[in-house]
Amino acid sequence: MYRSDFRYKGYAGKLLRVNLTAGTFKDEPLTNELAEGYIGGAGMAARILYDELSPGIDPLSPENKVIFLTGPVVGTMIPTANRIGLYAKSPLTNSFFYSSAGGHFGPELKFAGYDGVIFEGNSPQPVYLFIDDGYVELRPAQHLWGMDTVQVQLALFEELGSEEIQIAAIGPAGEKLIRFACVICGCRALGRGGLGAVLGSKQLKAVAVRGQRSVEVPDMQRMKLFLDEVFARFNANPATAEILPRYGTPVLVNANNSLGLFGYKNWQDEFYTEAEGLSGDTMRKKIVKRDKSCFACPSRCGKLSIVGSGPYEGVRNEGPEYEDIFSLGSMCGHNDIEVVCAAERLCDDLGVDAIEAGVAIAFAMECYERGLLTLKDTDGIDLKFGRADLIIPVIEKIARRDGALGGLLAEGVKRAAEKIGNGSEYFAMHGKGLTYAGHSARGMPGFALGYATGPRGGSHHDGRPTGERSGLVPRETIEGKGEYTARINHLMILTDSLLLCHLTENIWGPLDITDLVVRSLNVATGMTLTLDEARTTAERMWNIIRAFSVREGYRREHDRLPPRFMEEPIKTGPSKGMAISRQMLDDMLDQYYDFRGWDKKTGIPTAERLKALGLEDVARDMEKYR
Amino acid sequence: MKVTVKSFANIRDILGSAELDLDIAAGTTIGGLFALLTQRYGAAFDRQIRDQMSGEIVPFLVMINETVYRTTTDLDVSLTQGDAVTVMIPFDGG
Repeated sequence: MYRSDFRYKGYAGKLLRVNLTAGTFKDEPLTNELAEGYIGGAGMAARILYDELSPGIDPLSPENKVIFLTGPVVGTMIPTANRIGLYAKSPLTNSFFYSSAGGHFGPELKFAGYDGVIFEGNSPQPVYLFIDDGYVELRPAQHLWGMDTVQVQLALFEELGSEEIQIAAIGPAGEKLIRFACVICGCRALGRGGLGAVLGSKQLKAVAVRGQRSVEVPDMQRMKLFLDEVFARFNANPATAEILPRYGTPVLVNANNSLGLFGYKNWQDEFYTEAEGLSGDTMRKKIVKRDKSCFACPSRCGKLSIVGSGPYEGVRNEGPEYEDIFSLGSMCGHNDIEVVCAAERLCDDLGVDAIEAGVAIAFAMECYERGLLTLKDTDGIDLKFGRADLIIPVIEKIARRDGALGGLLAEGVKRAAEKIGNGSEYFAMHGKGLTYAGHSARGMPGFALGYATGPRGGSHHDGRPTGERSGLVPRETIEGKGEYTARINHLMILTDSLLLCHLTENIWGPLDITDLVVRSLNVATGMTLTLDEARTTAERMWNIIRAFSVREGYRREHDRLPPRFMEEPIKTGPSKGMAISRQMLDDMLDQYYDFRGWDKKTGIPTAERLKALGLEDVARDMEKYR
Repeated sequence: MKVTVKSFANIRDILGSAELDLDIAAGTTIGGLFALLTQRYGAAFDRQIRDQMSGEIVPFLVMINETVYRTTTDLDVSLTQGDAVTVMIPFDGG
């Protein structure tokens, strides 16, 4: 049952806490303080994990906790209010991490009576959790162990007697603690940060949810008027009404490549003369069969694809998305969209992050071509750029830690480079351990600052490329980019706490928290937040995440870009010559810390700013690290 | 004067090819080119570049040869004989 006594609508009003070591679980009421101070999703999880995790713990130990959490708007009809977030200390970055996915799992969890589930401890044997409209059971999963993510879902549909169940599951990669293992919900990925390995370390194979409850809102008439307004905006905007529905995220291949901002061959360049083969246009002609939407979203950006010919004929996929095409295609130096489609499907089946996997293969290709890896290191594979035929066999090796190459790359590029040595670190294209997504740092300074300062490192959802890529702000200058990036951080963390989709940020943002975002929270919950209060709330969330990172040892010197982005300008194409020099980055960091009220020498939030945000306890903690 | 319009995705679908050669009046600006394309291809083109609620052209980039311009500030930039104009597409995120 939902809690009828909880102050705010929109929420279910309770969390489920599962102790996997003991095999027990209990309901925990959501507190007003958590809802008001941290909203939901990423903000709420950051507060919980800051309070409950000791600094320095091993992310794959029983001391780590992993949280599934929705937001207060999820399950309403507000467009894109459909995401589920996953939160833990990451085995890739060793700090707080969050990854979210669209689809239907988030709303279903809310319909089943919970805002979220906190898992702690480690189970002595494989288990899965079943939540059925408020009923909770921890069930054995020995028979599911070893299955891929599709097999698990099909097996649980049969076991639970219904396909009207949403399932989040790990594959073999999560079981084998691949550091970039992901969690798959339906066909959508909680992709980044290796959180699937955290589930694997806990022997938690899956979470299955089913619910019949409605999400209550305080005033249905007010909600209807709000929905009319937001749907009208969606229908009027070219991005959400025309482009996303027809081409989805793969439209970015031509968009980014035309600007010379498309990572190629492990970021050796950012212009790929043969990119048309990977474009949204080619994909639509060759493999896309149908468009698909997530819950409560009119944009239909999901693309159901079938490979029509060649060695992977018949492979079906929901995707690939732009990031997959970048990592498994261009970064590896080939333009075969059918290989990308099949490779991305394999990543989902085995449960590995397709961005991390593709970039790891590209890293290995460069190391091999430069003589830093030999045939012995690659298990006899002639691992050269352009060898599309090698992508799928290497993914198999990684996800199963097979052979020398699989074992090496399964640790992620940062650790792989540390093991290889001999200067290979220069070619490991990661921020704080997470590989960069398919958006240029060199060609967009504000976005580069977002990469450098982002708590997740290589994520394209801490800073955002949209403002500079659309021309809302000039991309040729660093002036004002400190405040620009900080305001985008706040938009991102607030929408990641509501669990709205960033792909429609032209409606919700895209440069700062807008009145529309705040009203979505207020109409769903009955809160009365003002725009200024929402901005303060978002800043509070960002600061507690920064404090988490500080406790784990992160300082200003870690807010960096890889040397390649600073020393090697883009070689060809329209952005030829662009790079972010150390001086440019340092200037932007000073701007950023100034705007944030963080110590410019260390990057630690000042006591004054933390106290102004209501984080007195965090301010006291931070004194130990100054 | 002659210019070539390069495009992809929805705009390519509407123009009918990846590259379209056009004869336009000397002095035509980026904004003028959009008006001309709207005149020729109608609402189908207009919907790709203009918010239908506000009536404003949305922010996106336009490349003339290899120089990048912004619809937010550069609609009055003039085209010259032989220019290749790449119309980027308004798109969120990624």
